[in-house]
Amino acid sequence: MIDLLGYAAFFLSTALILGIITLGLNLQWGLTGLFNVGIAGFVAIGAYTSAILTTPEAAERVGGFGWPILAGWVAAMAITGLAAGLTGFATLRLKSDYLAITTFGVAVVVQLVTLNAQGLTGGPFGVAFIPRPFASLAETPVAFNFANLAVVAAVTLVVYLALEHLSRSPWGRVLRALREDERAAISLGKSAKSYRIQAFAIGGAVMGLAGAVQAHFIGFIAPNNYLPTLTFQIWAMLMVGGAGSNRGALLGTIVVWAIWVGAGAFSSALVPTDWQARTAALQIVAIGVMLCVILLVRPNGFFGGRRRK
Amino acid sequence: MNLQFIADGLISGSLIGLGAIGVTLTYSILRFSNFAHGDLMAWGAYAALTVLGAISALLGTVAPIGMLSFGWPLVVAALVAMALVGGMALLLDWVLFARLRAKGQSIIVVMASFGASMALRSLLEFSFTSKPEYFSRAIQMALPVGFGIRVTPDQVAMLLVTLVLVTSMHLFMSRSQTGREMRAYSQNPALARVVGIDVARIVRATWLIGGALACAAGIMVGVLVQIRPLMGLDMLLPMFAAAILGGIGSIPGAVLAGLIIGLSEAAAVQLIGAEWRAGAAFVILMAVLLIRPAGLFGVSER
Amino acid sequence: MTPILDVRGLVAGYEPGLNIVRGASIHANEAEIVVVLGPNGAGKSSLIKAIAGLVPVSAGQVLLDGQDITATPAHLMVRKGLAFVPQTENIFPLLTVEENLRVAGGVLARSEVSPRIDEMFSMFPDLARQRRLAAGSLSGGQRQMLAVARALIVRPRVLMLDEPSAGLSPKFVEMVFAQLSQIRRAGLTIVLVEQNAKAALAIGDRAYVLVEGREAHEGVARSLWDDPVVAELYLGHRRAS
Ligand SMILES: Nc1ncnc2c1ncn2[C@@H]1O[C@H](COP(=O)(O)OP(=O)(O)OP(=O)(O)O)[C@@H](O)[C@H]1O
Ligand SMILES: [Mg+2]
Repeated sequence: MIDLLGYAAFFLSTALILGIITLGLNLQWGLTGLFNVGIAGFVAIGAYTSAILTTPEAAERVGGFGWPILAGWVAAMAITGLAAGLTGFATLRLKSDYLAITTFGVAVVVQLVTLNAQGLTGGPFGVAFIPRPFASLAETPVAFNFANLAVVAAVTLVVYLALEHLSRSPWGRVLRALREDERAAISLGKSAKSYRIQAFAIGGAVMGLAGAVQAHFIGFIAPNNYLPTLTFQIWAMLMVGGAGSNRGALLGTIVVWAIWVGAGAFSSALVPTDWQARTAALQIVAIGVMLCVILLVRPNGFFGGRRRK
Repeated sequence: MNLQFIADGLISGSLIGLGAIGVTLTYSILRFSNFAHGDLMAWGAYAALTVLGAISALLGTVAPIGMLSFGWPLVVAALVAMALVGGMALLLDWVLFARLRAKGQSIIVVMASFGASMALRSLLEFSFTSKPEYFSRAIQMALPVGFGIRVTPDQVAMLLVTLVLVTSMHLFMSRSQTGREMRAYSQNPALARVVGIDVARIVRATWLIGGALACAAGIMVGVLVQIRPLMGLDMLLPMFAAAILGGIGSIPGAVLAGLIIGLSEAAAVQLIGAEWRAGAAFVILMAVLLIRPAGLFGVSER
Repeated sequence: MTPILDVRGLVAGYEPGLNIVRGASIHANEAEIVVVLGPNGAGKSSLIKAIAGLVPVSAGQVLLDGQDITATPAHLMVRKGLAFVPQTENIFPLLTVEENLRVAGGVLARSEVSPRIDEMFSMFPDLARQRRLAAGSLSGGQRQMLAVARALIVRPRVLMLDEPSAGLSPKFVEMVFAQLSQIRRAGLTIVLVEQNAKAALAIGDRAYVLVEGREAHEGVARSLWDDPVVAELYLGHRRAS
């Protein structure tokens, strides 16, 4: 029973962290219509930034500044927001496909840096000993899990409220007008571009924050946490939930993550070990097909409610 | 300084260019960046591998052609695979992309191609696992060709095949009626209909050609390097970068840009280290987008 | 005499429920030049685009030589004998002049294409001199000629033109219109949408004035020009041009 509770807390924390990423994507895509194929890259930037700043000194790499966790998170948001802002700056005056291609490139390069810039990122082994909030509770796993859940839930709530507020503000109304009415975009001219860059940067900062929170939640990061599969899962979550709605984004995340984890548990229980890599692949096939089917038959998702044109 | 990197860069660059032709065609005619294009390459390589397996199961081993690592069964397998992948691209368009195109939001089509790409790639991992495969295990001697450069007979053969494919593509686009119609359609779809061009036929031709060329490029990567489910994903960024650097819609541009990117990658390997190879395409992409988004031969996009 | 092009009560629009063409009926007889006039935004372009199959039609009929072509897809119109020169962007700028003609000739039998291109070049010698140049580098008047030549290459029965004189210098307007009279003499039916009422009515046989998506006046071209009511309402401010 206690185990189960602990596991539920763990599951929910993981899901909520993914939910924060999805909220960031919802600002970029749901509200502004900007297509980001490099989500994993931006999450990684946030995770590594905070990890490098907050870990204790390590002989084999730069960093280990021992900053407080919160400072690490703020820095993660700033750096990721900056990276996203630059990406937007370079591409948002061009056709939307160029942003997609460039974000894809960002993810490739971030992966490259995390793998190869050993002196900064620890290379394939990643960064360990990332300080975890409430580490003193680690002796009693259930309390620890719930403390973590509380932290993650608080961050999610703050991000959610902030994004809701933003999307209702005059700023958010401009964004919505921009995505729905090309003429408004043209009449705003240069400032339309700057609105979009801002939205992309803020969305990126939210993703970076999620990456940082996740890093401190697990205590250890490595390059293969940030593969294209992550990007793809987040997209499936947002599209299931319904782009444009923050609540839909969170619900979609929890549903897709439950399906994902459930399918994984199912296959590890029933499928022989030498077939497990294959069933994992099949899981991705299923999500890919699901994403396509949703685009075809239910482009507004299941929990969105708000109609998009 | 070792000039070997020039040969290596030209060879891998020609494969990037060949793949980029399909990317640039889909972009200029169907108006979306197809993230599944790389996976068509990988499917092509595995399709050829499967057909090759069937041929050798039927006929036993066949002696290789001359100094090459492979015999005529691979040539047959390649042709069959090209037809299969062309057909698969058509099928994908029919079940997915055509329906979304009809709704009129091109970015949704891009997203669908991203979803399809994940599914296609993972389907390969499911069927063949991620263990690398080879068309032939034969070890080839690299022969010296002067200036300290060595190339294998396979590399020379693939370079020639690419040359033939690119030249025929160029002639097809500039001389044949279908090619002219494809160019006309990419410039002005509405006028194309007025002029009597059947859009459905153009779309079919685009997928068939794009799929077949992706397949050819995939097989060549398989011959020269290895076959892996992720091989297409790894080529995607260089191919996109080549299509943009060459100027969207320009086939000579895509090929030339492919060579430039191949050479830059090889130079990066030489000067910085092999592990940074994949960064070259990104640097070029960013430079093009910031300095000249229309690319080398492109007309500027509105 | 049955008209060669007969449009009956056509209703069409770009979005469902928003009709731009609201029950227009016009017709054109064999070897006739029919002029369609009307104020800006009256729906003249939309009307001929709807006839050409480029704007969704929700009611009414288009008959070509007695055959119903209302639901014919746009790309099959040239095969039926209906050619159309749009108002803007009516050539492929990156194809050469000759390729522009050749791409349109896809409808013809293969052996017929080259002779037909030569005929077009002898009709428009200016184009012949520039056959290898990108069409985008032509002057405005030459582009218009190329667009007309491209439409004629398939030997249509009916040629519809949307403001072929727009943006041309008076000298070119004269040339284009002289060319059209000549084409008509060869037996072709022409539907001409124009802002330049004076020049159009001078070569036209009959004319319609389109107002709010429907024909408001019909008459012999010359008399329409002299009709004080029509002139006052719809043509007056354009007499200067
Ligand atoms: N592609 C389109 N989509 C939606 N509405 C359109 C489109 N093209 C034209 N319209 C609308 O249809 C109406 C009629 O336009 P149309 O171009 O047919 O008029 P016109 O008589 O040809 O005018 P002009 O003399 O300016 O050429 C206008 O209100 C215009 O805004
Ligand atoms: Mg008009």
